[in-house]
Amino acid sequence: MIEMTAQILSIIIFVGMFLMIILDKFERHMVTLVSGALVLLVVFGVCMDSADAGRALQETLNVHSVFTAGFWYGESSENTSGINWSTLIFIAGMMVMVAGLGTAGFFRWLCLSLAKLVRYHVVPLLVCFMCMSAILSMFIDSITVVLFLTTVTLELARILEFNPLPMVISEIFCANLGGAATMCGDPPNIIIGTSLGYTFWDFIVNTGEIIAICFVAAALYFWLCFRKELHAQELARSGDVVCPLPSSAITNKKAFCGGTAVFLIAVALLVTHAQTKLSVASIGVIVTALTLLSTALTTDRKTVREVLRSIDYKTLLFFLGLFVSVGGLEQTGVLDLIAGFITRISGGSVTAIVVIILWLSGIASAFIDNIPFAATLIPVIHTIAATQGINLHVLAWALSLGTDLGGNATPIGASANVVGTSVSAKGGYPIGWGGYCRYCVPATILVMAISTVCLFIRYL
Amino acid sequence: MKTQILISIGREHGSGGHVIAQMIAERLNIRLYDKEILEEIVNSSGYSRELVAKMDEKPVNLFSSRRIGGFSNSLEFNVAEKTFEFIQSQADSGESFVIVGRCAEQVLRGNPNYLRFFIRGEMHDKIRRVAANDRVSEKDAVQLIRETDRRRKAYHNYYCDCKWGDARGYDLTVNSDRLGIPQTVEVLVQYIRAFMEQ
Repeated sequence: MIEMTAQILSIIIFVGMFLMIILDKFERHMVTLVSGALVLLVVFGVCMDSADAGRALQETLNVHSVFTAGFWYGESSENTSGINWSTLIFIAGMMVMVAGLGTAGFFRWLCLSLAKLVRYHVVPLLVCFMCMSAILSMFIDSITVVLFLTTVTLELARILEFNPLPMVISEIFCANLGGAATMCGDPPNIIIGTSLGYTFWDFIVNTGEIIAICFVAAALYFWLCFRKELHAQELARSGDVVCPLPSSAITNKKAFCGGTAVFLIAVALLVTHAQTKLSVASIGVIVTALTLLSTALTTDRKTVREVLRSIDYKTLLFFLGLFVSVGGLEQTGVLDLIAGFITRISGGSVTAIVVIILWLSGIASAFIDNIPFAATLIPVIHTIAATQGINLHVLAWALSLGTDLGGNATPIGASANVVGTSVSAKGGYPIGWGGYCRYCVPATILVMAISTVCLFIRYL
Repeated sequence: MKTQILISIGREHGSGGHVIAQMIAERLNIRLYDKEILEEIVNSSGYSRELVAKMDEKPVNLFSSRRIGGFSNSLEFNVAEKTFEFIQSQADSGESFVIVGRCAEQVLRGNPNYLRFFIRGEMHDKIRRVAANDRVSEKDAVQLIRETDRRRKAYHNYYCDCKWGDARGYDLTVNSDRLGIPQTVEVLVQYIRAFMEQ
C-alpha cells in the first residue's frame, strides 16, 4: 500500500512538473527543483520507511560518486541512478568554453570565412552552412551553434538579398543531426553516455555512422527543396555586394587564438578520452580552467567575469531537479513498471522493443522536451536489457537517435529549434508551425526511417 | 510641468475604452495608438500586415510554444515583443501618446511620465454597445464580450506582473457607465492635467 502510494505520488509530481514546464508560469529550473524537493520530502521522507528512504536518498543525490577516483579517471562505468554529476560538470565546462569562443568572435569569423570561400554564391553557402552546423554541433551544444549561425545567416541574407528562411530551417535541422552523432553534441546523448558508460568513440562508430547517412539524405533533401528558389534570388540580386571581411569578426587576435586552441584541445580530449581514461567531468574542468586562463592572459578581468557569468546556472539547476524527480520514479519502481509494460506490449520481441523505443522517443520528442524524456527512459532501457537479455547498446542507440532526431519535426521539439526560429523572428523573418513543419516533418520521417533500417541491418 | 505624458488604457470589451482613449488623445492633442500601432509595427519589424493583425493582442498558445530564456518560437510572442519594443522606443523618443492595451502597463512601468487607467462597464451597457457596433444579437454580444475579455486577460497576464483588471495595477479604475463616456473623459483629463502640473 505504502509502495503504491509512493509510486502514485512520484508519478503525480513528475507529471505535474511536466505540465508546469509547459504552462511556463514559473521558470523551469524552479519547477524541477520544487519537484525534486517534493520527491525527497514527500516520496522518500513520508512514504518510505527510514532504511529505504536513506538508501533512496543516497542513490538519488549520488554525491558520494564525485569523491571517487573513478568519477574523474578510469574506465567509463554505468550509473543510471540519481543526479548525473558528470553531465552537470561537463555541460558547465562547455558553457565556459563556448563563451570564450563567442567573445573572441570565433563563430562569426568561421561563418564569414566559409561565405567568402564559396564566393558568396547562395546555394553553395546553403550546403556549407548545413555542413558547418552539423560538424560544430558534434562538439558544441546545438543551441549555441544555431544562435550564432542564424545571426550571421540573417546578416548575409540582407547583404546578399536572399530569403534566409530556407537556410535557417536547414541549419537547425543539421545542428540537431550533428548533435546526435556524438556524446557531447546534445544533452540527451551526454546523459545517455555518462549514465551507461559509453565513450565519445562509442557514439561515433554507432550513432555517428547512422547520422552520417542521415545527414547526406537530409542535405540532399534540403538542397532539392531550396536550390531553385535561392538560385533565382541570387540571379535577381541587384549589382555587386560588399560583405564584411572574416577578419572583422576577430575583436581580439590573441583571445581568438587562445579560444580556438582551447576548442581544439577540447575536441582532442573528447576524441581520445577512452584512451586517456579521462572522464567527461575531468574534461569539463580542464576546459573550464584552460578557457579562464586563456581569457585572463589575452583580455581583461571584466571579460573573465563575463565568461564566468556565462555558466547558465538555471540550466544546471533544471538538470539537477530533473534528475532528482526521475530518481523518484526509479526508486519507487515506476520505471520498472514502464519497462515491464513495454516488454509486454512488444511480446518480448527485440525488434519490436527497438522500434518502440526509437519511434516512441521520436514522436514524444517532437512535442515535449527530449531531455526529461531521455533521462526517464535510461533506467527503463537498462531494466529491459537486464530482464530480457537484450543487448543494452542497441536500445541506447535507439533512444539516442529517437530523442535527437524526433525533435526536428516541430518548432518546439528541440531547444535549437526554439532559438533558431526566435532569432529569425527577431531579425524580421518569422517562421510559424506551417512553414517549419512543411519541410521538417518529411525530413524527420526520412531520417527516422533511415535510422530504423540502419539499426535493423546493423544490430538485429 | 511635465513635457511628456504617456497614458495607457486597459479596458473591458464594450466599456467604451477605445472611444475614451480617442477623446483623451484629441483633448490633449497627442497621438493615439490602438489599431494604428499595427502599421507602425509592420514598418519597424518587417513582418507582414496579415501576420501582425492576426497576432495582435493574441495570447501565446502554451501547447504549441516553448521558451528558452528570452527566445520563443511563438509568433504571438514575437509580435508582442516587437509591439513592446515599439512602445518603448516611442516613449524614449519623448513623444506623448495614449496607448490602448498591448501590455503598456508592463512596458512603461517605472516611467515618471506615465499614467495607467482601466475602463470597465456595466454588463447591460457593454452588451448594448457591442451589439450596436458589431451589428450582432445581444446573445452573440455576450459571447463576444466573454471571449474578447478572456483573450485579453490571457494576453495581459502572460506578459505583465499585475493581473488584468486588478486595481492595484492601475492608477485609476473607472466605470464608464456611471457618468457616461463624455463625463468619464472629463474626469480622466482633469486627473491627467493635475498629474502633469506636478
